Amino acid sequence: MESSKGGNGQPIILSGEMYRSVTELLSELLLKTKARVIIFGDMDGHAITQKGNTTGLNVNTLAALAAGHYAATAEMAKIVGETNRFKFIFHEGEEMNMYSCNVGNSFLLLIVFDISIALGMIRIFTNRTIQSLEKFLESQQQMDDKASEFLDIEFSTLLNKELDKTFNNL
Amino acid sequence: MFINWALQEINLKIVYYGPGLSGKTTNLNYIYQKLDPSVRSDLITLKTKEDRTIFFDFLQLEIGKIKNKRPKFSLYTIPGQSYYSESRRIILNGVDGLVFVVDSQINRMPNNLQILKELEENLIESGRTLQTFPWVIQYNKRDLSEIESIENLQRKLNYFNAPHFEAVARAGQGVFVTLKAVINHVITHIQSKLV
Repeated sequence: MESSKGGNGQPIILSGEMYRSVTELLSELLLKTKARVIIFGDMDGHAITQKGNTTGLNVNTLAALAAGHYAATAEMAKIVGETNRFKFIFHEGEEMNMYSCNVGNSFLLLIVFDISIALGMIRIFTNRTIQSLEKFLESQQQMDDKASEFLDIEFSTLLNKELDKTFNNL
Repeated sequence: MFINWALQEINLKIVYYGPGLSGKTTNLNYIYQKLDPSVRSDLITLKTKEDRTIFFDFLQLEIGKIKNKRPKFSLYTIPGQSYYSESRRIILNGVDGLVFVVDSQINRMPNNLQILKELEENLIESGRTLQTFPWVIQYNKRDLSEIESIENLQRKLNYFNAPHFEAVARAGQGVFVTLKAVINHVITHIQSKLV
């Protein structure tokens, strides 16, 4: 395994320290923007962490849809001759707006906010947060040995038993 | 694959691939219907007005704690119609395991072959190949009359000798056996790469 920074066939592994740093940055962003909810996920559609009011909100599904949408938009950029991907995606609603943008090549940030909050403010604070996030994520250490620790033989044996139990008679 | 060390979570992405109307959404729908809501998310289906998948279906499974770790499986389908090839490529981003759902009907063999070829091309483009990638084949619609024999299907489609299963997805037959097999195959594959 070559890297812990994602891409096809390569796992993304977020250490405890990284996770805490990301969560802190999201908390700060939430405080500054007064957004309803902020989700940090990866480009493969996994929700990693979120801040704000997630009551009644299916975060995992939202992250999966956002990643799919982001990937589709990147392809649209290519088709129309935009050499880089679009800088952000904005959805304007009657009550809520949504803003999403990439964090490096492997992650994305999704912000849901009330229409009374100015988009300009969201952009300014989000851009600052992204710069900090990218700095943290670039410094991520090699975690390959951690992956083998996570997925040992005992894990697969127990998973197999759990699958048998869950799928029993279905 | 994504591992969140702080939360002790591992997230794996499994994609159901195959030609249009082979039964990919039917597989996910059956899994959704049968599993307890405590272990699965809502089923999200992005459909055309004719009820065909336009982008993908999505269902997440969270199957208990294993050694204090929480495995999560994100199941996706792809749109099978030929003109959605770009969407299929996008959904393969970060895929950890594949179920190739075959329509067993004799007149659908060209479609099965065409989309299998496209799948291999997509994988090769991102530096992978079906020869070494964790995937399983599901021969679906075994209850219909004008179907290929398993021997023929194996000979024409399973040239890398992937694990294969017979299914009647609309009745649930073979659905969970296939799912369990692909999950185990993915985990074993990851472990072999880590050694």
